This record gives sequence, C-alpha cells and structure tokens, in this order.
Amino acid sequence: MAFETMNLVKGQLSSEVLALKNKGYRFVTMTCVDLGDSFDLLYHFDLDLKLTHLRLNVAKADRVVPSISGIYFAALVIENETQDHFGITFDGLALDFGGHFYLEEEVKKFPFCKFTVNKAESAGEGA
Amino acid sequence: MATIVPFGPQHPVLPEPLHLKLVLEDEIVKEALPTLGYVHRGLETLASIRDMDQMVQIVERVCGICSCIHAHTYCMCIEGLMGIEVPQRADFLRVIWSELHRMHSHLLWLGLLADAFGMESMFMHAWRIRERVMDVMEATAGNRVIISVNKIGGVRRDMSPEQLRWVLQVVDELETELDKIKAVLTNDYSVKKRTVGVGVLTYQQAYELGAAGPQLRGSGVAQDMRMTGYGAYKYIDFAPVVEKDGDSWARTMVRFRELYQSIDIVRQLIAKIPDGEIAAKVKGKPTGEIVCRSEQPRGELMYYVRATGDKYLDRVRIRTPTFANVPPLLAMLPGCEMADVPIIALSIDPCISCTER
Amino acid sequence: MDFKTISFVILAIILAPLAGGLLAGIDRRLTAWFQGRFGPPILQPFYDVIKLLGKEPQVVNYWQIFCVHIYLIASILCVALFAMQADLLMIFFVMTIGAVFMVVGALAVPSPYSQLGAQRELIQMLTYEPLLIIVFVGIYFVTDSFKIADILAYDRPIFLALPLLYLVLTFALTIKLRKSPFDISASHHAHQELVRGVLTEYSGPYLAILEIAHWYDIVLILAICSLFWSTSWIGLVILLAVTYMAEIIIDNVTPRMTWKWMLTYVWAVGISLSFFNMALLYAKSF
Repeated sequence: MAFETMNLVKGQLSSEVLALKNKGYRFVTMTCVDLGDSFDLLYHFDLDLKLTHLRLNVAKADRVVPSISGIYFAALVIENETQDHFGITFDGLALDFGGHFYLEEEVKKFPFCKFTVNKAESAGEGA
Repeated sequence: MATIVPFGPQHPVLPEPLHLKLVLEDEIVKEALPTLGYVHRGLETLASIRDMDQMVQIVERVCGICSCIHAHTYCMCIEGLMGIEVPQRADFLRVIWSELHRMHSHLLWLGLLADAFGMESMFMHAWRIRERVMDVMEATAGNRVIISVNKIGGVRRDMSPEQLRWVLQVVDELETELDKIKAVLTNDYSVKKRTVGVGVLTYQQAYELGAAGPQLRGSGVAQDMRMTGYGAYKYIDFAPVVEKDGDSWARTMVRFRELYQSIDIVRQLIAKIPDGEIAAKVKGKPTGEIVCRSEQPRGELMYYVRATGDKYLDRVRIRTPTFANVPPLLAMLPGCEMADVPIIALSIDPCISCTER
Repeated sequence: MDFKTISFVILAIILAPLAGGLLAGIDRRLTAWFQGRFGPPILQPFYDVIKLLGKEPQVVNYWQIFCVHIYLIASILCVALFAMQADLLMIFFVMTIGAVFMVVGALAVPSPYSQLGAQRELIQMLTYEPLLIIVFVGIYFVTDSFKIADILAYDRPIFLALPLLYLVLTFALTIKLRKSPFDISASHHAHQELVRGVLTEYSGPYLAILEIAHWYDIVLILAICSLFWSTSWIGLVILLAVTYMAEIIIDNVTPRMTWKWMLTYVWAVGISLSFFNMALLYAKSF
C-alpha cells in the first residue's frame, strides 16, 4: 500500500490543517515516531473513507510544535499523550495536562523515546 | 453551591477505570474533567523488544473484548508491508470470528447499559444470550475471550464443516433470543424515558470531534470501515446501520441493529466460504510504513506500522475508537443530570484499556 | 398494659427481623428466578448480617453511630406500637423520625455520594409521606378511627372500600423497599451513579444495624398493608403475597427512574387515585 504524505515545516502546519478542515476532512489521529535525532509527527485525516497524511519533522533540540486543538478540539487527547510520552510541547493546547495526562508526577523520563546527552550540545536530557 | 463528585475510577457502574471529576450544581453537571492513565501499560513500546510475530499476541491483549480485531488489523498491516497474499479461506474465517466478537461485545455492552439504568433483569438476560457466543468461541478457537487465531499470513486454526453448521444453528438461536428483548428496548416507556434525549451529539459535533463507530452512526453519519471492503467484507453485501437522533437511544439502537447485521454477515460468510489453505508462508522482514483501518465494535481502529527491515518494528501506533470518543464524551456531559452520567458514559461504549493501551 | 399485650409486643420485636430477613431472602431467590439464574440461599441475608456484625467498625464521625442506633430504635418502636395496636398517626411520626435520622447520619459525612444520596432520600420521603397520610385518612373515613385496635375490629375488609388507596399504599411500599423504579437514593446493587447513595459511608456493624432496621421497616409496611384485609387470615396472606410478588415483578421490568419523574408521577397519580377513591366513598354514603 503506497503511503503518501505531504511533508511540512512547522509554520505551514496550522494553515494546512485549517485547509483540510474546510474541505471537510475528519481528524483521525496523530502519530509520533522517534527517528533517533528527530521526531516525525504524522497527522492522519479522513474524508469519505480515504485517508490523507501530513508529515512534520521536529528536531529533538527544538520540541515546541503549534497545537491544532484550536482547529480540531479532538486533537487535545493525542497531543497530551504525546507530551507525556515524547516530551514534545504543544503550544496553545486547549486542555493542557502538562505532561501528566497518563503518567504520574514521579515519572521523570519520557518513556517512548531516547534522549542522549551530547557533550558538544547543551540541549538534551539524560536517558 | 457546587459539589464535586469524583466519578470513578472505581465505580460500580463503569466497566473500566475512568475518572471524571464532575462539578455539579443541583444535580446538573456543569463541568467534567477526565483523568486517564489507570490502565496505561505502554504496549506500543513493546514493539521495540518483541519481534513481529510476538507482537500479534501483544496487540491482542490491548483489549479483551475486541482482541481478535486488533490482531486482524495488525496482521493486515504487516501483510500489506510484506506483500503477502492471505488465502481467501483465512480471510473468511478471520471475519467470522471478528463478527462473533462484535456480537459478544455488543451484548456485553447492552447488559452494562441496562445495569446503568437499573434494569438488572435485562442485564442478566443479555449476558445469558452472550454465553452462547462464548460457547462458540470456546469450541472453535479454544478460549472464550482472547482468541488467538490470527497470525501473520492467515489464521492458526480451521473450522470444520460440522462446526460451521453448528455456528449457523447457534446464530439462529441468538436471533430468536434477541427478538425477545427487542420489544423491551424499542418500545418500553421507561427505557425510552431514561435514554431518549440523553447525551445528544449532533451530526456536526460528531463529525468535527472525531467520533467513531456507533457514536458517529448514531448521529446520522454513514461511515463504517467495513464499507472499504477489507478482508472478506468485499465478498458480502454490507450497508452501515445509521440512526438520526444522536442521543443515547439512537446509539443503543445502532448497536442492537448491528447485532442483527452481524448475524446476517456470519450467515453470508458461512454460505460462501471457500475451501483452501488457511495461512500463507511468511519470509523475510517488513520495510516501509503503512496505515490500516478496520471496524471494531466500538468504531474505527487505525494502525500505523513503520518498519526498517530489522528484527523489531520501528513503531506501532494504535488509535482505538474509544480514544476518539473521549472528546465527544466531554462535549456531551455538561448540562446533563447526574442520573444521566452513567448512561452517557456507557453509551460511548468505553473501553479504557483500549484507550490507554 | 396487660400480660397479653406485653407478650405480644415482645414476640413481635423478636420475630419481626426474622420474618423480614426471611422475606428478603425469598425476594432474592424469586428475583434470580425471574432473571434466569439460581440466586443465593434463602438464609443469605442472615449470613450477610452476621458477617457484617463481625467486622471492624470504621466511621467518619460519631454522629453516624448515633443516627444508626436511633433509626433502629425507631423501627423497633414502630413494630412494638403496631403490636400494641396503637394509633396509626403515632406510628407514622415515629417512622419519620427514624428515617430523618438516617438521612442526618448520611449528611454528617462530607462524602459527595453520601450527601447527594441523603438529598435524594429526603425527596423520596417527601414523595411517599403525604400519600401515606392520605391512606391513613382514608382508613379513618371508613372505620372512624386511627387506632389499630378499632380498625381490626371493623367487620368488613377495608380493601373493598379503598382499593385505589391500596394502590397508593403500594407506591409507598415500593419506595420504602427500595425497588425499581423508585430505588433512587440507594439501589440494591450499587450500580448507580451515587455508588450506594445514602448508605455509602456505612460499613461493617453499622451497615448490619441498618439492614436489621430495614427488615423491621419491611414488616411494618406489610403490616399496614395487612390492615386492608384484616377479617380473615387467608385473605390477608393472599393479599400480602400478591402485593409482594407484584413488587418483585415490577422491580424486574422497570429501570430506575430519575427523582424528578418519581416526584411528578407518584404525586400526580397518587393524589388523583386518592381523590377518586374518596369521592367514591362519599358517593356510596349518600
């Protein structure tokens, strides 16, 4: 099955999502994949049983992404979960649990991805 | 003065732990804040330490009530990535088991809903009918609830012609039993008083909030993943069950009519099932990305699998229907009465273990 | 009071909980039969109470203990008054005191389930008490007395004069027995939005005391029902059996309704039926 996605940069995200909403697309979900030194955020939308996907690549050093919960309210659940698991911060989240949607406050590591400390760079956390 | 009622996580009316912080004024719900995470097991991370065959077992245990369909969708993803052609008989068998799963799930849900509005006798009767489906699963697959029949490439077991005939008999008995409780659900004054007009979700809201399954179809949106014709669904006649009103009664009727629809599908499949192999040979490792969707009893299930040819898969993402139905729940609760909260919470058919994986 | 009355009272106080518990056990068995399952043994309520009495007491505050005991004393007193064939209105007031104290015990706890359940219990009381008074007034119109001694001395079964008022009494019976559609403040199985409602914060020995007091209540209400056919034993037993069976059937075929519905429906139907019956009575006396 061919998997076609539209690659985006952060600035284009909100406008693309709004365009899809105006065309009548339904929000299915968002997937986050840990690619080692960056994340891939895939947004999946559905219209009349056909899916379309948007791909956003986010570097681990800069983990702030604009939230689409203002456009699709339903996105807040998955964005909260991604905050918990991957440490990405969503800017403008409608209902923000602050990284404790699923996880207790005592959990310090982001469980779904690995962060490595690079002595050369100052960003990153201990794995 | 506002009262704060903690609804859940341990609540006798909820089948699974969900915490809703309800702010009430005079028994009218003003706000509802959810807290999830009570059964979060992080099953998606196990993809990085379990190979793809073992993952079938793991995804089956995401949820007990819809386990067969999780495994089916996962296998579809891997088969799509590797270009494996599943034999027709395996497809048919998979769907027969999936439809039986759907029936037992809807009957379980029916019992829980009856319990939520206080009609214990209907609860007991629905579950008694469900026992017949459990008997079939136990006889054909070996286990009542988590039936490990799917594997990559096909199914593990076959059903003999005698078993298929027996399944047809059981399905006939089920239909007679369902006819007996149909009158209560459709015509009873007090049942309707408790469910009609309770938890209304309009077409627009259901579509925009990303609702799935009977939630969506109860509000008039004719969308059912089985219409895409995956698996053996392309060989049978299928039309989605839709209701217009968008309240709890509409959703109840959607699920109840889907029970009849499942019985019809099982009959069609058993009539048309071809002979042949039940599994294809699997060689090599998958590469690429794929998205597969299927229709669980609770709605649209989406799997995203990414693999790079290693022993372990890169990423398995599971989007379960109850996950998508949580925002509609939050939209339906404010403004309802306290007595309606269990009915609304149950009318989305909450499977929190699916939601949180 | 003479020896006969005293012995009657003592017998009533001892036998009433036994009868109530046995009836509760038979109730559960019959309900299970209607639902297509086996059900517990008939003596199960006694096993439950004995088990509960042996548990460690856990209370939030001492008001709960006080209120539970007042409720039990009130229920016992009601049965004793009935055995002494005292005034019906007196029995009604003592019963109300007991019920109010149960509500106060629930209100003494800050748990939201308990608070909401207590409010609903008050609404339930608001629903059935006017109707109970109307039934007693109806009996007065027929027998010219509130005293049970005089009612029992009436030569015809009161049911024949007041059939519709008996129906009204069964509404009160349904609410008191906590059966669907009126099990709104504390349902028999805790599968409702308020966990166990007014009884949520009671556990262990205090729940046992509440259960025993509930048995006394059942016996009292059935005794009031029995006044409607006091002329022959067979008629009395048949009336009570049919009534209780009807309660169980209705419990099984209706869901639990909301308190707003209960208040509107029971008052509307109850008051209309009472009016109609009273009008018939007056018409007959012309």
